[in-house]
This record gives sequence, C-alpha cells and structure tokens, in this order.
Amino acid sequence: MSGSKFEEVVNKIISDSPPGELKEVYDDLIKITSENSKNTILDAIENYNVQNCVPIDVEGTSIIISKYNKEGSKFFDPINCVIFSVNHLEHRGLDVEPYEFTHAKLEKQQLKCLHDQLHEYLVQNFPGDVSFAVYPVSEETSKICIIIVSTKYNPSNFWNGHWRSSYIYDLDTEELSGHIFTQVHYYEDGNVNFQSGKDIGQTNVTDVVSAIRDAETAFENDLDFSFSDLNEKQFKALRRRLPVTRSKINWGNAIGSYRLGKNAAEGK
Amino acid sequence: MSDSQFDAALDLLRRLNPTTLQENLNNLIELQPNLAQDLLSSVDVPLSIRRDHTDSNRQYLCCDYNRDIDSFRSPWSNTYFPELSSEDLQDSPFPSVPLRQVEILANDSFDVYRDLYYEGGISSVYLWDLNEEDFDGHDFAGVVLFKKNQSDHSNWDSIHVFEVTASPSSPGTFNYRVTTTIILHLDKAKNEQDSQMMLSGNLTRQTEKDIAVDTSRPLDVLSTSHIANLGSLIEDIESQMRNLLETVYFEKTRDIFHQTKNAAIAFSAEEANKDAHAEVIKGLQSL
Repeated sequence: MSGSKFEEVVNKIISDSPPGELKEVYDDLIKITSENSKNTILDAIENYNVQNCVPIDVEGTSIIISKYNKEGSKFFDPINCVIFSVNHLEHRGLDVEPYEFTHAKLEKQQLKCLHDQLHEYLVQNFPGDVSFAVYPVSEETSKICIIIVSTKYNPSNFWNGHWRSSYIYDLDTEELSGHIFTQVHYYEDGNVNFQSGKDIGQTNVTDVVSAIRDAETAFENDLDFSFSDLNEKQFKALRRRLPVTRSKINWGNAIGSYRLGKNAAEGK
Repeated sequence: MSDSQFDAALDLLRRLNPTTLQENLNNLIELQPNLAQDLLSSVDVPLSIRRDHTDSNRQYLCCDYNRDIDSFRSPWSNTYFPELSSEDLQDSPFPSVPLRQVEILANDSFDVYRDLYYEGGISSVYLWDLNEEDFDGHDFAGVVLFKKNQSDHSNWDSIHVFEVTASPSSPGTFNYRVTTTIILHLDKAKNEQDSQMMLSGNLTRQTEKDIAVDTSRPLDVLSTSHIANLGSLIEDIESQMRNLLETVYFEKTRDIFHQTKNAAIAFSAEEANKDAHAEVIKGLQSL
C-alpha cells in the first residue's frame, strides 16, 4: 500500500471515530498495522481534535482547541491567558506559558462578559461535562467564535454521549450563524450510532446568549419529537410486533394454511 | 495474522460509524490483507438483493453464506447468478440433495412468516451440511435472512446464523444454536429549516435451546420438526430483539442525549425553589 493511500485510510478511520474513543481506536490501529504507523495516526488524531473542538485538560482547566485559537503548533486561551502545546492522544496541555491577549477591536473585558453570561446559561441546561470557549476570529476583527461542548462518557456501560455547538457572531452586522451537532454511541453487544445536527442562522441578534439559548432549546424539543415520530412511523412500519392474527405462528405442516387463508381473503 | 489483530479489527468495527461499515471493512482489509477471510465471514453487513432470472425475476438476499466467487446462489432455483461456468460450478457449494429438500421447505415456511410479520420485504434461507455424508435428519447449519426497507430512510436486515446438532449424551435431543444480528437504519430527511437526524447500527445476540425430537419418524417428518423448532425459536428471538432495538434506539440514546443537554434542569431548579418557598410559607402558617 502506498504512503498516501495509507494516510487516506488512516484519516478516514480516525474521522469516523466516535468522540471519547480515540485512545481505543489508536490502540487498535497500532495492533492492526504496527508501531511504525504511529506518527501517521497521531497526525490524523491532531486534525480530528482541532476540527471537532476537543476539550484539553490544561493544568486542571478544560480548554477547547480549534482553528480559532491555534497559533503555530500551539493553542491559546484569551480568558485564562495561557498558551500551550497539546498531547493529542492524552488530551493534555503541555509547556503552558502566560499569554497576553491583544486585539484591534475587542477588549478582553467584552470576551469575559460574554463568557460569564454563557456560563450561567450552560449550568442550567447542560448536565454533562461542559467546556466552552469565546475566541476572537483572527483577521475578521468584528467576529467572535463561541463553542460549547458537553460530554457524558460511560465506557464501563458501553455508551458515550456528545454535544457540540459552535457559532460565529458578527458584532457589526449582528448576525449569528452556526451549527449544532450531537452524537450518541451505544455499543453493548452491538454498535448503535445516533447523530443529529442543525444549521443555525439568525439576524438582528443583540443578546447573543439568549439567541443561542432559544435555538438550542428549540433543537432539543424538535429532537424529542423526532424520536417519537421515527418510532411511531418508520420503525413500526418495518416489522410488526405480532401478525395481524394477534397470535404467534403455528409452525409445521399447517403453516401453508396461512397462505391459503390469505389468498381466499384476497379472492385469488 | 494474529488473534490480537483480528480482535482489534472487530473492536474497531464496533466503534466506527456503522453507516459506513462496508467502507471501513474494506479499509481494514487494505491495511491488513491477512484479515480478509476472517473478517468477511464474521462481520454482518447490510444484505444485498439479486434477482433469479429463472424464477420470474424473483428477488433473493445475498451474504457471504450463499456466495461463490462473485456469484450468489438463489434459494428459489438453487442456481448461481451471475451464472458460473460449468468448470467453476464443479467446486461450488450446494446443499446435499436431501438437505436441499429441507431448504425448500424452510424457504416456504419463512416466506409465510415474512409475510405475516413484515407485510412486505424479502426472505431467504440457505442451508449447508455439517457432515461428509448426505443429510440424514441430524446435523446441519444455515442462515435465515429478512430484509425490509421503506424508501431510502429506513432499512431492516435480520441475519440468523444457526446450527442444529444432535446431542451426543441424550439421544433424540437436538441443540439449536442461533446467532442473530439485526441491522437497523432510520433517518429523517433533511430539508432547509429542519434538523437532520439518523439512528443507525446493529445489535447481536446468541441463543441456544435443547429440544427433544422424535427421530424414529421418516426423514421428511423429522425435517419438518426441525424447521418448526427453528421457526418458533427465531420468531421468539426476533420479538425480543425488536423490543430491545426499540428500547436502545428510542429510549436509551434519547436518555444519553439528555445527559449532555437538558433544558428541563433549568425548569426543575425553578420548581425546586418554588417548592422550598412553599414549604417555608407552610411552615410559617402552621406556627
């Protein structure tokens, strides 16, 4: 297998991994290939972590990494005023150094204020392990990025749950756009994956936290409805609980009589 | 290939997105070609459909158990499609003549079952001999398949692989061992304002049952008993699995989702405050 094909396959497998299980996927891939493929796999995991806004444990504080707070190979946090490297496999911050936030337009206080409002909303709506971020968007000085990640991992009971919502808010045009994504993996004697997502776009947004709260509550309510709807309509149409006769089948030689009965009823 | 590589591959397939199972399976085989045979024979993928050109283009289901080279044997005419050369056919697997009779009976019976429970869909049963000699009413194995889909948004595949073996210790008793996998995919169509939603995956269970069968009867009666026993066993398993799927897909995943996001905790906090307040007032009033 060529090097680029190998890289492509590894990237595909990593990008298909459920949140919270990257370490296990890494171990499996090393067993199937060899220690030699370590760097290719770690590169793929680094991309995954940045793209999926994975929270990193930086000296006890959970900090989300993303393309918005990446600086070279390091990541910064304007609120906690730190810059750090990342062990992408262990989700741990390294070489933590102080960081001075400077921005052409934004005061640190503005970010901090939004941060505190978000925190208040999150404690009332997200029972999982919650991480969140308010980052400036570099080169677009009127825009800020807001990311919310809530996870509940329970590998000893073979399930993991994940919520991620991310938004760009433009202070000048007062436009909010973003995406909500949620995923549940249940893998006791099987492999069941639930995923749902929705694009959010709103104009004339003055109170950004309220707008996010409304959009996310609506998403949650829709989802509850969709669960019932998929069960009532699609699932029930696939296989009946019992035959129309409301009793179990009489197997053996007599089974042909069901067909005779049906043909007679249909006038065949 | 080592056992630990095979176990690692199975563990990976249990974790990666089940909607791209076939692609992930192919990728793993690319990474480690030695795993190909073991993975293809032990990982259940969604069933494909073919048509039997000799039986009014009737549809039948395909899996690794009725495959030879790139062709699949039809349970209706016992013919491989696309048709194999007479040279290839000499090595192709077929059930022995007496077992083929049981296969015809099984297909007929499970087709009635399919109609009663699925009201549509496709069923196929394939049997194979476990002994060198022709089938004599004792040991045999097989797979019972059902597929039902409604548009592109829902699909159900049942795969029951079974073995029937005579108990060596108690004559007249047979052991029926069934491994069942159900692959269920449901999704909600996406339109502009709507959210996208997908529930997809598979669950596997193993079941075993010992049943006494009157072995003194003629072969056709004995065969009918085997199919009747398998039939009611598979009927029970599918009913249990249907309940399990309903619980996992619609209750369990929804509960887990709400453990990450739940607007109700804000309300319940308010309620708790109100309750506490009411208690205080009640306390004051009773003074």
